[in-house]
Amino acid sequence: MHSTALFLPSCMMIIFLILLYPVLTTFNPNPLHPDWALTKTKTAIKLAFFTSLIPLFLLFDQGAEAIVTTWSWTNTMTFDISINFKFDSYSCIFTPVALYVTWSILEFASWYMHSDPQMNRFFKYLLIFLIAMIILVTANNMFQLFIGWEGVGIMSFLLIGWWYGRTDANTAALQAVLYNRIGDIGLILMMTWTATHLNSWDLQQMFILSNNYDLTLPLLGLILAATGKSAQFSLHPWLPSAMEGPTPVSALLHSSTMVVAGIFLLIRLNPMLENNKIALTTCLCLGALTTLFTAICALTQNDIKKIVAFSTSSQLGLMMVTIGLNQPQLAFLHICTHAFFKAMLFLCSGSIIHSLNDEQDIRKMGGMHHLTPFTSSCLTIGSLALTGTPFLAGFFSKDAIIEALNTSYLNAWALTLTLIATSFTAAYSLRIVFFVSMNHPRFNPLPPINENNPSVINPIKRLALGSIIAGFIITLNILPLNTPPMTMPTTLKLAALIVTILGLFTALELASLSSKQFKQTPNPNPHHFSNMLGFFPHIMHRLTPQANLTLGQAIATQTIDQAWLEKSGPKAIYSLSLRPITTTSNIQQGMIKTYLSLFFLTTLITLTILMF
Amino acid sequence: MSGASLKLGCVHVHYCFQKCIFIAVSASGATKDSLPGAYPKTPEERAAAAKKYNLRVEDYEPYPDNGEGFGDYPKLQDRSQHERDPWYKWDHPDLRRNWGEPMHWNFDMYLRTRVDTSPSPVPWSTMWKQLFGFVGFMLFMFYMGEKFPSYQPIAPKQYPYNNLYLEKGGDPAKAPEEVKNYEI
Repeated sequence: MHSTALFLPSCMMIIFLILLYPVLTTFNPNPLHPDWALTKTKTAIKLAFFTSLIPLFLLFDQGAEAIVTTWSWTNTMTFDISINFKFDSYSCIFTPVALYVTWSILEFASWYMHSDPQMNRFFKYLLIFLIAMIILVTANNMFQLFIGWEGVGIMSFLLIGWWYGRTDANTAALQAVLYNRIGDIGLILMMTWTATHLNSWDLQQMFILSNNYDLTLPLLGLILAATGKSAQFSLHPWLPSAMEGPTPVSALLHSSTMVVAGIFLLIRLNPMLENNKIALTTCLCLGALTTLFTAICALTQNDIKKIVAFSTSSQLGLMMVTIGLNQPQLAFLHICTHAFFKAMLFLCSGSIIHSLNDEQDIRKMGGMHHLTPFTSSCLTIGSLALTGTPFLAGFFSKDAIIEALNTSYLNAWALTLTLIATSFTAAYSLRIVFFVSMNHPRFNPLPPINENNPSVINPIKRLALGSIIAGFIITLNILPLNTPPMTMPTTLKLAALIVTILGLFTALELASLSSKQFKQTPNPNPHHFSNMLGFFPHIMHRLTPQANLTLGQAIATQTIDQAWLEKSGPKAIYSLSLRPITTTSNIQQGMIKTYLSLFFLTTLITLTILMF
Repeated sequence: MSGASLKLGCVHVHYCFQKCIFIAVSASGATKDSLPGAYPKTPEERAAAAKKYNLRVEDYEPYPDNGEGFGDYPKLQDRSQHERDPWYKWDHPDLRRNWGEPMHWNFDMYLRTRVDTSPSPVPWSTMWKQLFGFVGFMLFMFYMGEKFPSYQPIAPKQYPYNNLYLEKGGDPAKAPEEVKNYEI
């Protein structure tokens, strides 16, 4: 057998075993070695990363992909579910990226969480999350994908609520689970439709058989699933709330891996999506709305983690737009490049937060460039990559997406919104850098702010390297599925750059206005809309639960009893018959003799008529 | 009666010496007196109900008697636990509640992980109008964007040799018309 065909699946399966081993070592009753997190877990991830490079190189060099079917789970006469892995370009590229980012984050977490009494458990949770994520991306049938989907959802809940003594963290974890559950309705709808119509949950069979059907319903279910998991507009509030979790959690789950699961699902199922105009338009419009709305919200936030969270949400909207343009490869490229610079932004934020004694408000930071030059430089590099600076990682994906947008036949408003959101990206990125790194410190001098710990610097260094070269490397080595537009007017080619620079200059101008006052009384309405997140959480998180809970209780305890017993049952008989009874008894005038004689007379006449 | 226990009660008698009385009380569940009862109609019933719920008589306000089954349960303010002072030393700090405080009818909705009724900086009607105005505007503009899409200028595809006259089923006997696909 060809050695490539053996190597690729073998390496990927070995990765599963390498990652599972530390989790299995926790299943004995003895307490773990205090060094377990560093020695076992981080080493396992590092080893798994280097192992995953072999399939990556095989893919790049030979275009090798593999599908592996192992154990038969259930087999009825007509329906098979087996453990089925698909090691195609998407999973073979995503796995090393995810492992690289996780390796850096775990090393950072060994510093960030070193004073936490449950650090070993924290690393175990992160490891289980990673295993679930890899199950998700390598799944070749919907059942396995669903296992990974739910797995990442549960680990997200456990990790957001890591500091469970804090009510806000519990609320945020609950929020994440509930919003994801609403999305799961869509996924399960799609799975049931597929099981009943296409008789299989295998991706290959689904794609072949789906050409004859009208797929609007399952595809809308899929889009609902992606809306929930990837925080698109209407199911988005859980993502900024998820910042209640520790920074390594935010860096791994809520920027690089878990939130892209929804987009990844749409990428995997793109063959079903590409012929359905309604689904594509929905993706496009929803993505455009999300990217602009969350960019608006990011403009006035003061918590550094929230700004980065909204930035993530905005980029997820951009990925959704790309899917709506029928360009799954570009969306996947953006997933990979975004993982690097977003994780780096979170790690830099975490380093700054910890150095400033857990201060997260950017209005109380400043001058960090003098105090932590490496971290603030990497913050700048990450922000530049995010805005799509030419030839950094973000450029290859973002610029390609905007070029595809400009040259496609699409909804003009979606195009406008995406371009506006691109300029807002530059604005809020500058906001972070301006408030954190530039000017003078706005906090009291604290005991040593330093960058001496290699556990902090090396991960950020690695991710910075990734943010610079990853886009280039991946673009060089994958073949495009669609012919990219070869010619376009210069303005369209430079459009992304122009709007970004516009946004940057506007933000710089606004920053210089922060020491001047032009109006006597400011107009707070736009600021309120942006700062209170479009009022969406306020309205939805108060109206919906209040209506559901009060209605539920009122119906269950009072209304049912009242309806059945009083308005339509025994008491209703009583109240309805009260009027006729009173009327009848009031009509009675007590003339018994007259009534009796009338009765006998009537009876006599009737009998006489009957006899004759 | 399982769970019966002896409770020691000391009564201060009028003649200034204490007399201790043994009271046998069940230690399981609420007594019949402390359960909610019927709607209070007379002032004495109101006073007794207020005492039962640990409220002052002036503060006690029952739900209206319209057949919904509230009985004499007090109608407390519809404010959630979010609005209570986070820094005060409550008996139950996580619940922001003191021991013996009357519980709201909808207390499980007003927990700190459920509905928040704290006042918002912006009035409710403004919030509502702005959000739904924004979403409505976006939906309308998406509709307009579908009607007037954006695309690059395109022309019909051009083929060599008379626009493929023969291949497209043209009559070989007839002379094809001249096709000029360029301009100099």
